[in-house]
Amino acid sequence: MPQLNPAPWFTILVFSWAIFLTILPLKVGAHTFPNEPTLQSTDTPKTESWTWPW
Amino acid sequence: MVTSFFDQFSSPLFMGIPLMALALLLPWILLPTPSSRWLNNRLLTLQNWFLGMFTRQLLLPINHPGHKWALILASLMIFLLSLNLLGLLPYTFTPTTQLSINLGFAVPLWLATVLIGLRNQPNLSLAHLLPEGTPLLLIPILIIIETISLMIRPLALGVRLTANLTAGHLLIQLISTGLFVLLSLQPAVAILTGALLLMLSLLEVAVAIIQAYVFVLLLSLYLQENV
Repeated sequence: MPQLNPAPWFTILVFSWAIFLTILPLKVGAHTFPNEPTLQSTDTPKTESWTWPW
Repeated sequence: MVTSFFDQFSSPLFMGIPLMALALLLPWILLPTPSSRWLNNRLLTLQNWFLGMFTRQLLLPINHPGHKWALILASLMIFLLSLNLLGLLPYTFTPTTQLSINLGFAVPLWLATVLIGLRNQPNLSLAHLLPEGTPLLLIPILIIIETISLMIRPLALGVRLTANLTAGHLLIQLISTGLFVLLSLQPAVAILTGALLLMLSLLEVAVAIIQAYVFVLLLSLYLQENV
Protein backbone atom coordinates (compact mmCIF):
# COMPACT_ATOMS: atom_id res chain seq x y z
CA MET A 1 0.00 0.00 0.00
CA PRO A 2 1.77 3.16 -1.09
CA GLN A 3 0.52 5.15 1.86
CA LEU A 4 2.70 3.09 4.14
CA ASN A 5 5.88 4.01 2.31
CA PRO A 6 7.84 5.90 4.99
CA ALA A 7 10.07 7.81 2.59
CA PRO A 8 8.32 11.16 2.21
CA TRP A 9 6.52 11.06 5.55
CA PHE A 10 8.64 13.65 7.34
CA THR A 11 8.68 16.07 4.43
CA ILE A 12 4.94 15.78 4.06
CA LEU A 13 4.46 16.30 7.79
CA VAL A 14 6.62 19.41 7.90
CA PHE A 15 5.11 20.86 4.74
CA SER A 16 1.49 20.31 5.71
CA TRP A 17 1.99 21.72 9.22
CA ALA A 18 3.80 24.71 7.76
CA ILE A 19 0.79 25.43 5.54
CA PHE A 20 -1.60 24.76 8.43
CA LEU A 21 0.21 27.10 10.81
CA THR A 22 0.93 29.97 8.43
CA ILE A 23 -1.50 30.36 5.57
CA LEU A 24 -4.69 29.06 7.13
CA PRO A 25 -4.87 31.06 10.38
CA LEU A 26 -4.17 34.22 8.42
CA LYS A 27 -7.07 33.56 6.08
CA VAL A 28 -9.44 32.22 8.73
CA GLY A 29 -8.51 34.73 11.41
CA ALA A 30 -9.08 37.69 9.10
CA HIS A 31 -12.80 36.90 9.06
CA THR A 32 -14.53 39.31 11.39
CA PHE A 33 -18.10 39.43 12.56
CA PRO A 34 -18.84 43.09 13.11
CA ASN A 35 -22.57 42.73 13.81
CA GLU A 36 -22.97 41.67 17.40
CA PRO A 37 -26.03 39.48 17.99
CA THR A 38 -28.63 41.31 20.08
CA LEU A 39 -28.65 40.16 23.67
CA GLN A 40 -31.98 39.21 25.11
CA SER A 41 -32.56 41.88 27.71
CA THR A 42 -34.09 40.73 30.97
CA ASP A 43 -36.06 43.89 31.56
CA THR A 44 -39.25 43.91 29.53
CA PRO A 45 -40.35 47.38 28.52
CA LYS A 46 -43.26 48.70 30.51
CA THR A 47 -46.36 48.53 28.40
CA GLU A 48 -49.60 50.37 28.88
CA SER A 49 -52.78 48.36 28.97
CA TRP A 50 -54.32 48.29 25.56
CA THR A 51 -57.95 49.09 25.43
CA TRP A 52 -59.52 47.82 22.29
CA PRO A 53 -61.54 50.54 20.69
CA TRP A 54 -64.58 48.36 19.97
CA MET B 1 5.97 -2.99 -13.36
CA VAL B 2 2.31 -3.90 -13.04
CA THR B 3 0.11 -0.95 -12.21
CA SER B 4 -2.38 -1.64 -9.48
CA PHE B 5 -5.38 0.34 -8.39
CA PHE B 6 -3.44 1.59 -5.38
CA ASP B 7 -1.04 3.55 -7.54
CA GLN B 8 -3.28 6.59 -7.45
CA PHE B 9 -2.28 7.05 -3.81
CA SER B 10 1.51 6.97 -4.18
CA SER B 11 2.87 10.49 -4.13
CA PRO B 12 3.05 11.34 -7.82
CA LEU B 13 5.15 13.95 -9.54
CA PHE B 14 4.01 16.37 -12.21
CA MET B 15 6.85 17.91 -14.18
CA GLY B 16 9.09 17.17 -11.22
CA ILE B 17 6.90 18.96 -8.67
CA PRO B 18 5.36 16.59 -6.15
CA LEU B 19 1.60 16.79 -6.53
CA MET B 20 1.31 16.76 -2.77
CA ALA B 21 2.92 20.20 -2.64
CA LEU B 22 0.57 21.56 -5.30
CA ALA B 23 -2.47 20.02 -3.60
CA LEU B 24 -1.44 21.62 -0.32
CA LEU B 25 -0.58 25.04 -1.71
CA LEU B 26 -3.24 25.81 -4.29
CA PRO B 27 -6.65 25.31 -2.57
CA TRP B 28 -6.24 28.46 -0.50
CA ILE B 29 -6.57 30.55 -3.64
CA LEU B 30 -10.27 29.69 -3.41
CA LEU B 31 -10.47 31.29 0.03
CA PRO B 32 -9.99 35.04 -0.30
CA THR B 33 -8.59 36.81 2.74
CA PRO B 34 -11.04 39.41 3.99
CA SER B 35 -9.71 42.95 4.14
CA SER B 36 -10.96 45.85 6.21
CA ARG B 37 -13.45 46.56 3.45
CA TRP B 38 -16.92 46.67 4.94
CA LEU B 39 -18.89 45.24 2.02
CA ASN B 40 -17.67 41.90 0.75
CA ASN B 41 -18.45 40.01 -2.39
CA ARG B 42 -20.71 36.98 -2.43
CA LEU B 43 -17.99 34.37 -2.09
CA LEU B 44 -16.47 36.03 0.93
CA THR B 45 -19.86 36.59 2.54
CA LEU B 46 -20.74 32.92 2.11
CA GLN B 47 -17.45 31.76 3.59
CA ASN B 48 -17.77 34.23 6.45
CA TRP B 49 -21.28 33.00 7.24
CA PHE B 50 -20.20 29.37 7.15
CA LEU B 51 -17.15 29.97 9.30
CA GLY B 52 -19.09 31.91 11.94
CA MET B 53 -21.89 29.38 12.08
CA PHE B 54 -19.51 26.45 12.27
CA THR B 55 -17.29 27.94 14.98
CA ARG B 56 -20.25 28.96 17.11
CA GLN B 57 -21.79 25.49 16.81
CA LEU B 58 -18.51 23.74 17.57
CA LEU B 59 -17.69 25.80 20.63
CA LEU B 60 -21.16 25.51 22.20
CA PRO B 61 -20.35 22.54 24.46
CA ILE B 62 -16.81 23.60 25.32
CA ASN B 63 -15.96 25.46 28.52
CA HIS B 64 -14.59 28.96 28.39
CA PRO B 65 -10.86 28.04 28.63
CA GLY B 66 -11.28 25.86 25.56
CA HIS B 67 -12.38 28.77 23.42
CA LYS B 68 -8.72 29.52 22.74
CA TRP B 69 -8.86 26.59 20.36
CA ALA B 70 -11.44 28.29 18.13
CA LEU B 71 -8.96 29.43 15.48
CA ILE B 72 -7.09 26.16 15.23
CA LEU B 73 -10.25 24.06 15.06
CA ALA B 74 -11.87 26.33 12.48
CA SER B 75 -8.77 26.37 10.28
CA LEU B 76 -8.47 22.59 10.61
CA MET B 77 -12.06 22.22 9.41
CA ILE B 78 -11.48 24.50 6.41
CA PHE B 79 -8.23 22.66 5.67
CA LEU B 80 -9.75 19.17 5.68
CA LEU B 81 -12.97 20.22 3.95
CA SER B 82 -11.15 21.91 1.06
CA LEU B 83 -8.68 19.06 0.60
CA ASN B 84 -11.40 16.40 0.70
CA LEU B 85 -13.76 18.15 -1.69
CA LEU B 86 -11.14 19.24 -4.21
CA GLY B 87 -9.80 15.69 -4.29
CA LEU B 88 -13.05 14.48 -5.82
CA LEU B 89 -12.37 16.38 -9.03
CA PRO B 90 -10.73 14.32 -11.79
CA TYR B 91 -6.97 14.30 -11.98
CA THR B 92 -6.52 15.88 -8.56
CA PHE B 93 -4.51 14.48 -5.72
CA THR B 94 -6.08 14.17 -2.28
CA PRO B 95 -3.50 14.70 0.46
CA THR B 96 -5.90 13.38 3.09
CA THR B 97 -5.66 9.89 1.62
CA GLN B 98 -2.12 9.80 2.96
CA LEU B 99 -1.64 8.39 6.44
CA SER B 100 1.28 10.76 6.89
CA ILE B 101 -0.89 13.87 6.85
CA ASN B 102 -3.80 12.43 8.82
CA LEU B 103 -1.69 10.90 11.56
CA GLY B 104 0.51 13.97 11.48
CA PHE B 105 -2.49 16.07 12.42
CA ALA B 106 -4.31 13.61 14.67
CA VAL B 107 -1.44 12.65 16.99
CA PRO B 108 -0.12 16.13 17.90
CA LEU B 109 -3.57 17.66 18.35
CA TRP B 110 -4.85 14.75 20.46
CA LEU B 111 -1.65 14.79 22.50
CA ALA B 112 -2.11 18.52 23.04
CA THR B 113 -5.58 17.97 24.50
CA VAL B 114 -4.31 15.20 26.79
CA LEU B 115 -1.34 17.20 28.00
CA ILE B 116 -3.46 20.28 28.62
CA GLY B 117 -5.79 18.17 30.73
CA LEU B 118 -3.01 16.48 32.66
CA ARG B 119 -1.25 19.77 33.32
CA ASN B 120 -4.14 21.99 34.35
CA GLN B 121 -6.49 19.55 36.04
CA PRO B 122 -4.69 16.21 36.52
CA ASN B 123 -7.24 14.71 38.88
CA LEU B 124 -10.16 15.39 36.57
CA SER B 125 -8.30 14.08 33.52
CA LEU B 126 -7.28 10.87 35.25
CA ALA B 127 -10.80 10.49 36.61
CA HIS B 128 -12.04 10.07 33.04
CA LEU B 129 -10.34 6.69 33.05
CA LEU B 130 -12.93 5.26 35.44
CA PRO B 131 -16.63 5.52 34.65
CA GLU B 132 -18.89 6.27 37.58
CA GLY B 133 -20.55 3.41 39.37
CA THR B 134 -18.26 0.56 38.36
CA PRO B 135 -18.19 -2.43 40.74
CA LEU B 136 -15.08 -2.56 42.94
CA LEU B 137 -13.67 -5.75 41.42
CA LEU B 138 -13.85 -4.41 37.86
CA ILE B 139 -11.88 -1.23 38.58
CA PRO B 140 -8.36 -2.43 37.61
CA ILE B 141 -9.52 -4.02 34.38
CA LEU B 142 -11.61 -1.03 33.45
CA ILE B 143 -8.74 1.40 34.00
CA ILE B 144 -6.58 -0.68 31.68
CA ILE B 145 -9.33 -0.76 29.08
CA GLU B 146 -9.97 2.97 29.31
CA THR B 147 -6.24 3.71 29.01
CA ILE B 148 -6.03 1.58 25.90
CA SER B 149 -9.05 3.33 24.43
CA LEU B 150 -7.44 6.68 25.21
CA MET B 151 -4.21 5.67 23.46
CA ILE B 152 -6.07 4.37 20.42
CA ARG B 153 -7.86 7.68 19.81
CA PRO B 154 -5.23 9.39 17.63
CA LEU B 155 -4.74 6.24 15.57
CA ALA B 156 -8.48 5.91 15.08
CA LEU B 157 -8.78 9.58 14.20
CA GLY B 158 -6.09 9.45 11.54
CA VAL B 159 -6.91 6.06 10.10
CA ARG B 160 -10.65 6.82 9.96
CA LEU B 161 -10.11 9.77 7.66
CA THR B 162 -7.51 7.94 5.55
CA ALA B 163 -9.56 4.79 5.17
CA ASN B 164 -12.81 6.57 4.32
CA LEU B 165 -11.28 8.72 1.64
CA THR B 166 -9.05 5.99 0.23
CA ALA B 167 -11.96 3.56 0.03
CA GLY B 168 -14.11 6.14 -1.69
CA HIS B 169 -11.51 6.98 -4.30
CA LEU B 170 -10.77 3.33 -4.88
CA LEU B 171 -14.46 2.53 -5.39
CA ILE B 172 -14.82 5.36 -7.87
CA GLN B 173 -11.82 4.12 -9.81
CA LEU B 174 -12.99 0.49 -9.78
CA ILE B 175 -16.53 1.24 -10.89
CA SER B 176 -15.46 3.67 -13.57
CA THR B 177 -13.00 1.10 -14.92
CA GLY B 178 -15.81 -1.45 -14.99
CA LEU B 179 -18.08 1.04 -16.73
CA PHE B 180 -15.45 1.80 -19.34
CA VAL B 181 -14.92 -1.88 -20.11
CA LEU B 182 -18.63 -2.65 -20.18
CA LEU B 183 -19.46 0.15 -22.60
CA SER B 184 -18.34 -1.88 -25.60
CA LEU B 185 -19.50 -5.28 -24.33
CA GLN B 186 -22.88 -4.81 -22.65
CA PRO B 187 -24.18 -1.23 -22.98
CA ALA B 188 -27.32 -1.88 -20.92
CA VAL B 189 -25.34 -3.02 -17.90
CA ALA B 190 -23.01 -0.11 -18.53
CA ILE B 191 -25.90 2.34 -18.13
CA LEU B 192 -26.78 0.80 -14.77
CA THR B 193 -23.15 0.99 -13.73
CA GLY B 194 -23.15 4.62 -14.78
CA ALA B 195 -26.12 5.31 -12.53
CA LEU B 196 -24.28 3.56 -9.71
CA LEU B 197 -21.20 5.69 -10.36
CA LEU B 198 -23.30 8.86 -10.22
CA MET B 199 -24.80 7.91 -6.88
CA LEU B 200 -21.38 6.90 -5.58
CA SER B 201 -19.96 10.28 -6.50
CA LEU B 202 -22.73 12.00 -4.54
CA LEU B 203 -21.99 9.71 -1.61
CA GLU B 204 -18.32 10.62 -1.83
CA VAL B 205 -19.13 14.33 -1.66
CA ALA B 206 -21.16 13.67 1.49
CA VAL B 207 -18.41 11.48 2.95
CA ALA B 208 -15.80 14.14 2.26
CA ILE B 209 -17.77 16.75 4.17
CA ILE B 210 -18.81 14.41 6.99
CA GLN B 211 -15.36 12.97 7.59
CA ALA B 212 -13.78 16.41 7.86
CA TYR B 213 -16.49 17.39 10.33
CA VAL B 214 -16.13 14.19 12.37
CA PHE B 215 -12.38 14.73 12.69
CA VAL B 216 -12.80 18.23 14.07
CA LEU B 217 -15.79 17.28 16.21
CA LEU B 218 -13.97 14.42 17.91
CA LEU B 219 -11.01 16.66 18.60
CA SER B 220 -13.34 19.20 20.18
CA LEU B 221 -14.80 16.38 22.28
CA TYR B 222 -11.36 15.38 23.51
CA LEU B 223 -10.73 19.03 24.28
CA GLN B 224 -14.01 19.24 26.18
CA GLU B 225 -12.98 16.39 28.42
CA ASN B 226 -9.71 17.99 29.32
CA VAL B 227 -10.50 21.65 29.69
